[in-house]
Amino acid sequence: MPTFTTTTIMSSQNNNLNLHQFKINPTTQSNIVTINVGGQIFQTTEETLTLAGPKSLFSQLSELSQLGPHFIDRDPELFSILLSLLRTGSLPSKAKSFDLQDLIEESKFYKIESLLVNSLSNPSQFDSFNLEKTLILPLNSRDTASAVATTPFGILHVSHGSKITSFDWSLQNKSTTLTQFTAIDSMLAISPNLVAVGATDFSGLQILDLQKKGFVLETLNWENVTKSGSTVQAIGSSNDLLFTSFESNFFPVTEIGHYEIFGADLDSAIPATKLKWVESYNVVMASGSHSGPSGVLGNVKFWDVRSGNVVWEFKEKVDCFSDITVSDNLSSIFKVGVNSGEVFYADLRKLGSEGNDSWVCLGDKRKVGNVKKEGVGCKIEAHGNQVFCSKGGNIELWSEVVMDSSRKREEGLPERVFRKNWMGRVKDMEGSRVTNLAFGGNKMFVTRKDRQSVEVWQSSGRGF
Amino acid sequence: MENEISNSIPNSLSSDRVKLNVGGKLFETTISTLQSGGPDSLLSTLSTLPSHDPIFVDRDPEIFSVLLFLLRSNHLPSTARRFSKQELDDEALYYGIDSRLRLAIAPPPLSGIDASFVSTIFPASDGVVSSFNAAADDGSVCVAHGGQISFYDHNLTHVSTVRTHLEEITSIRHVCPDLAAIGSDSTAGLHFYDFSSARYLGSTHWTDSSDPRIYKARVSSIADSPSQIFATFDCPHRENCILLIDKSTLQISSEIGRQSGSSSKNTAPGKLTWLPETGAIIGSAVTSGAFGYSGYIRMWDPRSGEVIWETNEPGSGRSSRFGDSFADADVDVGGFTLFKVCSKSGDLAVADLRNLVDDPWVYIKDKNPSMSFIGGASSSVLHCYKSQVFVGRDGSLEVWSKENNGADEGLYRRNFVDKVEDSTRGVIRKIEGGGDRLFVSREDAEGIEVWESSYSSGAILV
Repeated sequence: MPTFTTTTIMSSQNNNLNLHQFKINPTTQSNIVTINVGGQIFQTTEETLTLAGPKSLFSQLSELSQLGPHFIDRDPELFSILLSLLRTGSLPSKAKSFDLQDLIEESKFYKIESLLVNSLSNPSQFDSFNLEKTLILPLNSRDTASAVATTPFGILHVSHGSKITSFDWSLQNKSTTLTQFTAIDSMLAISPNLVAVGATDFSGLQILDLQKKGFVLETLNWENVTKSGSTVQAIGSSNDLLFTSFESNFFPVTEIGHYEIFGADLDSAIPATKLKWVESYNVVMASGSHSGPSGVLGNVKFWDVRSGNVVWEFKEKVDCFSDITVSDNLSSIFKVGVNSGEVFYADLRKLGSEGNDSWVCLGDKRKVGNVKKEGVGCKIEAHGNQVFCSKGGNIELWSEVVMDSSRKREEGLPERVFRKNWMGRVKDMEGSRVTNLAFGGNKMFVTRKDRQSVEVWQSSGRGF
Repeated sequence: MENEISNSIPNSLSSDRVKLNVGGKLFETTISTLQSGGPDSLLSTLSTLPSHDPIFVDRDPEIFSVLLFLLRSNHLPSTARRFSKQELDDEALYYGIDSRLRLAIAPPPLSGIDASFVSTIFPASDGVVSSFNAAADDGSVCVAHGGQISFYDHNLTHVSTVRTHLEEITSIRHVCPDLAAIGSDSTAGLHFYDFSSARYLGSTHWTDSSDPRIYKARVSSIADSPSQIFATFDCPHRENCILLIDKSTLQISSEIGRQSGSSSKNTAPGKLTWLPETGAIIGSAVTSGAFGYSGYIRMWDPRSGEVIWETNEPGSGRSSRFGDSFADADVDVGGFTLFKVCSKSGDLAVADLRNLVDDPWVYIKDKNPSMSFIGGASSSVLHCYKSQVFVGRDGSLEVWSKENNGADEGLYRRNFVDKVEDSTRGVIRKIEGGGDRLFVSREDAEGIEVWESSYSSGAILV
């Protein structure tokens, strides 16, 4: 035991030297904190301990360091891993001899779980070109996943039937909540525990607290003239607003109880089925479509939230979108044509200018008049600098190739080059049709038709 | 969490600290951690020894480190997987902290909407389970298969198997810690076996000195209260009654509910439940005849032997569901409600035991159109457990659970517990909850299925 203790001190000091070797002042003796964890001696500096944040047990230790070495009655091996995480910001490879669950529980005790989340489920680690299908999350009972909601750091909520199953950021733990819905069509994560939930056969939008077994915090209803129940078609949000499309119209909820209604005077009664916030333009994109005798018709509207006016509007008559998304990073909106099944983009920077052909087809233009409706059921989502588009059971990844800007079109903006590639390996192809694509942390989540599970796509180099 | 922190920082006082040398490995912990295993444990005794040198314990240090982890943080580390549940259990028993270990490895609260099939318990021989009982409520289960009783403990580890003198056990109840009461529809009497020592303790028969026809009565169902065992006895000429048997002496204390058995309204109850709040017994019987199913549910006061309430099905013309008799009924003891599942429509109905009238049933339907069409199955079985109603219809297993709408009274929602492929394993014959487990036995299938909820996501690597 004595020799073992000495080596621990030596290695801790070495680490300290590494960290501070570029500092002019060598670590002074008074800065060194000695901690006895479950019988093993650890030494570190106050600076390292304060990195853990003011609420953590570590920073409390550094405050009490004047009183001599502290004894913490916890497991020393897990402590040494968390101390390495604190020193370097990433987990040492020896952490792999433990389950992630052990580290999560231990980090909760020391109140440094956020450091672990940062090192393992950080959205900055999302790498579109390096995503592989790594995990399948099974869902109990017989219902298939209907809607998916995620938080930026990878908490995942999946609705199936009348239930919502929530997975924590590590995807190690789950809990299931029973809701009042028969089936959930739209869901949005407001905070780790709060979700906004709506369905096309349920009157009103519910805000549920999933930590309190699905306690309904608030039911929001559109107070329309007829006083009839209005059902939720889509939910979207910006940093501080929640948008909901009720039947044919949508309103943002600034604070609970205060709301404004936009679009009540719409001549077309097409409800918005997708709402996306465009941060850099301060507008919300609302899109909806319905099929009539002359084919699928749709419209895309951009609403200025402050004024409540429509800024731009697209009327979709030929090859209407099957699904549509907007990418702030690429300053473009992307759609899949319902007839052609091809991906189109429209540059947001050109929307103000006149020009009746804003959509640029990225594939075979001749298929626009297709009668086969190849685009039915396709999903398109933008995340980071890429656009993900599902076609049947496969997923296309569209990315912009930045070319020489000398080739210019008449409008003055350079012609943009987008290229696609199929995601996954041959064995992942030709699965059931993709029903949801969602992104959270460094992961992509995929649900498929008739499957009681969620696929997790993750970069192979990362992860525990 | 706040407490743990305030505990751990002042613990730097050396007087609180204890050094242990377990099998040559040094551990340092605090008195309060060691005492958290319980005041009578070996570890809390060790913590009070007046010693400054490490206290030597001649046990395996690896298992000790797992158990110390458990005491410190209230859950098991992943390294516990290196040891079998039995090893951990034995070692925890040695240190006197078995109750802590039991809490840590017990499954989380059973939630029917989030339960999955965990395993099947297969008895070694005569695997088709004729009856089972999980009354001990710690997740252990007593299984009757053929003429044998097998007992599986809270870890579902096989403890013992007893060969009884019966050819086929059709009802079993775990009435005392080591005592099972068993009955058979082919052999008369209620029989008691101690399964820890594999000993036959005796039998009880229904006799009547004034009526010689009361002879060779067979047991059709068994229930128990903390002090008494209730068993229905059914004579070959169909006369039947419920006998109350004292648990300490195993002698008959009284007889209630004697009836002739001449019609479906007075056959022997096939299911008995004791209500702890009122002390009443609820019995139900279902018979199938030429005109479909019929049956009754009856409540007795065991002290006076009088019938407090009863309902007969198919009811008279007043009943809202004429001709749709129940296939199975069960009591939700905690919620003080009675549930039945109809044999023809398959509908579920609930009755409030506090407000029993002639036709107390409220029929419940799921709002979801795809879940509200059920269709009848006369083989349906119903079991109430932890405020949830589990129903087996042919091979499929469903749960009715209350939604949380903030108020006290939520609606019941129907969800499947199983997957379609689970339902192909056979017709469900019996469902019973015990501890946080659900046990399911199927027609002509070997073994009993164990269903549990889990906090673990169960992610599968691909």
